[in-house]
Parts: sequence; C-alpha cells; structure tokens
Amino acid sequence: MEQVLKLRNLKVIFPSHGGIIRAVEGVDLDIHQGESVALVGESGCGKSVTSQSVMRLIESPPAITRLDTLEFNGKDIKNYTHKQMQDIRGKEMSMIFQDAMTSLNPVMTCGKQIDEMYIRHKGVSKKEAREYTIEALKLVGMPEPRSRAKNFPHELSGGMRQRVLLAMAFACLPKLIIADEPTTALDVTIQAQVLNVLRNMQKKHDMSLLLITHDLSVVSNIADIVYVMYSGKIVEKASVEDIFHEPYHPYTRGLIASVPKLSDTEKEFSQIPGTVPHPMKKPNGCYFHPRCQHATKQCKKAMPPLISVGKNHEVRCHHPLKDMKKEGKA
Amino acid sequence: MSKDRNQDPILTMRNVSVNFPVKGGLPFLKKGIIQAVTDVSLKIKRGETFGIVGESGCGKTTLANAMIGMVKPTSGEVIFNGKNLYKIKRDDFKKTRRHMQMIFQDPFSSLNPRFNVYQIISEPMFIRGEDDEETMKERVVELLKLVGLSPNDLYRYPSDFSGGQRQRLGIARSIILNPEFLVCDEPVSALDVSVHAQILNLLTDIQKQMKLSYVFISHNLAVVKNVCDSMIVMYLGKIMESGNSETIFKNPLHPYTHALLAAVLDTTIRKDRKQVILKGDIPSPINPPKGCRFWQRCPYAMEGCKTIPPENIEVEKAHVVACHHVNGFPEIELPKDYKNKVNMEEDS
Repeated sequence: MEQVLKLRNLKVIFPSHGGIIRAVEGVDLDIHQGESVALVGESGCGKSVTSQSVMRLIESPPAITRLDTLEFNGKDIKNYTHKQMQDIRGKEMSMIFQDAMTSLNPVMTCGKQIDEMYIRHKGVSKKEAREYTIEALKLVGMPEPRSRAKNFPHELSGGMRQRVLLAMAFACLPKLIIADEPTTALDVTIQAQVLNVLRNMQKKHDMSLLLITHDLSVVSNIADIVYVMYSGKIVEKASVEDIFHEPYHPYTRGLIASVPKLSDTEKEFSQIPGTVPHPMKKPNGCYFHPRCQHATKQCKKAMPPLISVGKNHEVRCHHPLKDMKKEGKA
Repeated sequence: MSKDRNQDPILTMRNVSVNFPVKGGLPFLKKGIIQAVTDVSLKIKRGETFGIVGESGCGKTTLANAMIGMVKPTSGEVIFNGKNLYKIKRDDFKKTRRHMQMIFQDPFSSLNPRFNVYQIISEPMFIRGEDDEETMKERVVELLKLVGLSPNDLYRYPSDFSGGQRQRLGIARSIILNPEFLVCDEPVSALDVSVHAQILNLLTDIQKQMKLSYVFISHNLAVVKNVCDSMIVMYLGKIMESGNSETIFKNPLHPYTHALLAAVLDTTIRKDRKQVILKGDIPSPINPPKGCRFWQRCPYAMEGCKTIPPENIEVEKAHVVACHHVNGFPEIELPKDYKNKVNMEEDS
C-alpha cells in the first residue's frame, strides 16, 4: 500500500502570558492509501492541532512548530510556501470542520461555495462548476440538489450543512480527507447518516481518512487504525480490533468504558476520575498517572516510552495491562 | 396527608399545545404557525426521572419550557404541585418557580463570563432576597464541594474551567434553592464522551441526596436507558411512544423508537458496517404532515398513515404507542418481527 502521509516527531508550542503551552509533543502519524485512521482524545489533548499542522494551517507566530518529516503523497511538503500549500489544500487533501454553521460563509449560497473549489482547482467556467456542484451534492445524498445549491447556509438544517461540507471536501477527490469531529454537533440519527456517507465515499474512491474525534463509538464504526492521544502525546496505537478487544493502556480502557451503551444494565456509569491536566501544568512522569489507578512510583518519575506490544500495536505505559476482565470496570 | 401528597404526581400536563406565529413578508401578515408541541399529556411522579427523547426540532425544549412556566401554552394546562401554573397570581407563581430549576445544554453560553463562581452560584439566592454575604458564601462552598469542585475556586471565572467543570457550576447554581423539580436539558451533549459519565453520576447522586424529580432531555437513548424511570419519545411535537422506560426498551413498538435505537453507536466493531438508517430530515413544524407525523420517514408507512392520525393505544400497562401498525390496520402487512410482538401482547 502506498503511503499517503508520513509525519515524524511533530511538536507544537504556543507561548503565552502564563507560560508555555506544549500542545503537541512528538507525534508520529502514518496513513496509507484507502485507510481510515482515527485520532482519539479528550478536548485539549492536541488532536486538532495535530490535524491542522498536517494541513499546515497553524499560524507561526504565535505557534512554534518543529517537525522532522512531513511527507504527503511522496512529496516533502515540510518547507512548502503558502502558495504551494494552497494548490494542495482542497485538491489533494481537504478538511471537514466540526461546526458546519461557522465554517460556511453565511452571505454566500452553498452552491457558490462549492463552485469555488472547481473554479480554483480545475479551472472550469462558472456554469460548468455548477454542474459539478450539483453532481457532488447528489453524491452526498442531498435531497433536491439543484434548488438546495441556491440556499444560504442558515436555510439548511444541521445535517444538510454537514453534507455541504462533505460535498466541498470530496469535490476534487483528494487523496486525504481530514475530518475534525464531523458529527459532534449532530443528532444521533443524522450522525449515522453523515458517517455512512463519509464511509461510502471514502471506500468508493479509495481515499484515506484522518478522523479526529472524542467519541469511541464513532471510531468503532469507521476506523481501521486508531491513535489514542492524551495531553499532547500518543499513548496507544493499534488496529481497531486490538483497541477494542485488547486495549493495553488504562486510559484507552477508561475511554471505552465511558461510552454509554444500550446493553448496560447498571445504573452507575463508569467514569475516568479527574480531569485532563492543564497544558501549562503537566505533571511529572507519565501524564496520566494522577488519574490512573495502577500508578506506581516509577510512573510519577519517568515518562514511559512508546513500546511495541504486538503487531502494529504500541503503547506508552510502564505497566501495560493485558487482561481486560481482571480490571473490570475502571 | 403527607403520604397522599407523595403519591400525587409532581407535575401534570393536560393536552398542552404550544404554537408560535411566524411573521414574514408584508407587515401584519401571518405567514404561518409553528406547531412546536401538539396535544401532549403526561404525568411526572414525585422522585422519578422522566426522560424526553427526540431529534432536534421535535419540541423537547419547548415542552420543558412550558413545564417550568417559561413559555405559555396556547392551550391546555400545566399543574405543578396542585397549582395551575398559568392561572395563579404572579406572586404565587414566583414562589412556585423557586421549586423548579433548569440545567442548560451548553455550559459555554449559559454562564456569564463576567461573573465569578461565587456570583454565578449565589445569584438565585440573591434574587430571592438573601443579602447576608456570609450565609451565601457558606452555602456556595457547601455546594461546590457537593458538585466536586474546590472551595478555592470561589473567585475564579468561567473561562478558567473546562466544559465538564462548567457544567458542574451550572448544576450547583440550579440546586442552590433546594428545588423539588429539576429540568436537565441535554446536560451532557455539549461535553466530551469521557466526561458524560462523571456528570451523569453526579446528577444521580444529587437526586438521591435531595430527593429531586428530574426531567431529562436527550437524543441519545443509551443515556436515557440508564437514567430514566419513565420516558416519552417525541417526534415533531407529538408523543410517539410513552411509558415505563424499562418496558419501552424491552419492547419498543413505534418505528421511530426503533430508528433511534438503531442510530445509537456503541463500541462493537461492525464487520459489515451496515445499519438501519432513518432517511431524510425532520420536516418543518410549520406545515406538519396530516395523519401520522412520522409517515414521510417511516419505513412501514401505508396509505392510511398519510391521512388518519393514529390514536394513543395502551398496548400494555404503562406503555402507550401512537401508531397504526400496533393497532393492526387490516390491509397492512406488518413486518415479521412486528407481528410476533403484537401477537404476544394479545395473547398475554
């Protein structure tokens, strides 16, 4: 399989009044063609910063970005200029943002915003672009695409707005789609529809997908490879089967257990105690140790390295746990 | 006397409808009416958790607002603790209102960014005429501990807190007047999944301690299942299915309830990755469909569904469904599993 994205040792720092915020601390990402990769973590763990760094959307200054390698589609885009990046964005890699209402232009019709993609990247006329747009809207399951293209964003429902964003992202059939929490603002029924479209389009055109989410139930439905992030570091990386059937990191277990399920019989919800550490006051040693019930002295002293525990399965923990049943509900 | 009072429902709604006029075009010209809530009757028992489930735009929040006296219903009556909320005098209403409080969906917009924690939480007391700083401070500290924050946070501002912590502040504010009745309007849907459990457990603990009655609004059935004692499923302003939540989850009968259940994602990896998905969006409440409100999206819709509104049918004890299929339309061919379920009811 051809490698679409290769990211090595990404570090992003935001200097601020109170101190330095280390948002991302040495993240490696690999995405192959046709793969869907999920980046999971709580708010503030640096997952959005990682994805935006891949698109080179993090402005510097204020941010300070350091990385060893950023290869996209075989090309080294680490030192690309703004102009060169603009040719790639939207055409070869595109992004779907979380909140459809704020990422669409409120004073432009939806159709016109999608037209722009074709005019900019394919160099077609306005008329031709509109035909492409209607075709694209049809593909993402928009009812009555011809008349909907003339609507402004506020005239559409949340699910339809998300579809407009999907149509825009898929417009030029890019190699890589980055979806940053594409369904968090939506209802469960609409979430299922949008995920379905995303999955079908991706499989049909053999694209790669980088999905950013905090919801593991979405991951189980769409991803092949899962990276779990905590406080700026990758804590576990494995295939989706391994993550759900054999999670090694206590944090991954906590995340899985905290998804409310229909099959739950107990009234009590299982929870991870405590909160994510403040990015300016990260604890010594393993960042997760204040919330971890298996923490030892060693955990308080040293940050564990990312060790391999199986085929394509890596975990950052001094005491990786294997037996899921032994721990029960965290 | 007190025993009788405990058995009375804390809140009763009889045939409540809420309409909003839509103005547009020429001045004074009424464009139409949004039928946000249509003909809803329900009873909420003392000390129970009552779930309201449905998609956005189905009238959940309007219904909750009507419950606590924030939106005047167009018709019907709301009775809280034996008092008709919209008929009593203003003074009386104010006194009653302090027993009903609300937790809002989005903790990022429901807290005043220029108030500190102490001001936010003590504001309801202040409004009710409390002016002793010491008493208020004591009470606020007590509540901060109860919701799992530290008393050191007293003079910090909402921007210093994460989403989950802000929601805790919202909870503390809503219980400071010792209410009997608390409306939680999607208390977790704006938060991370990992924080959901913390907030839900906190709400359950508080309910046990303070013997509160909850109304719990959500669109995620997996959450409702573990929290609620009884529930209603709403679609486009009408109740589709209502009753004891255990009964509904054991034997969901309305096609819309089925669809909602199918849309809940859990952590099982689906090899085939296919699921029953409800098509389309919720229609506009300005011109709701005649007949059954759900027919446009219902996979089992028949001719009769388009014109005749279904009646509420009590299929078993504490389980009411508004669907023609449950009653057994003579010319309708029911899907197999449906038939089994309906037959079972008839046999027993």
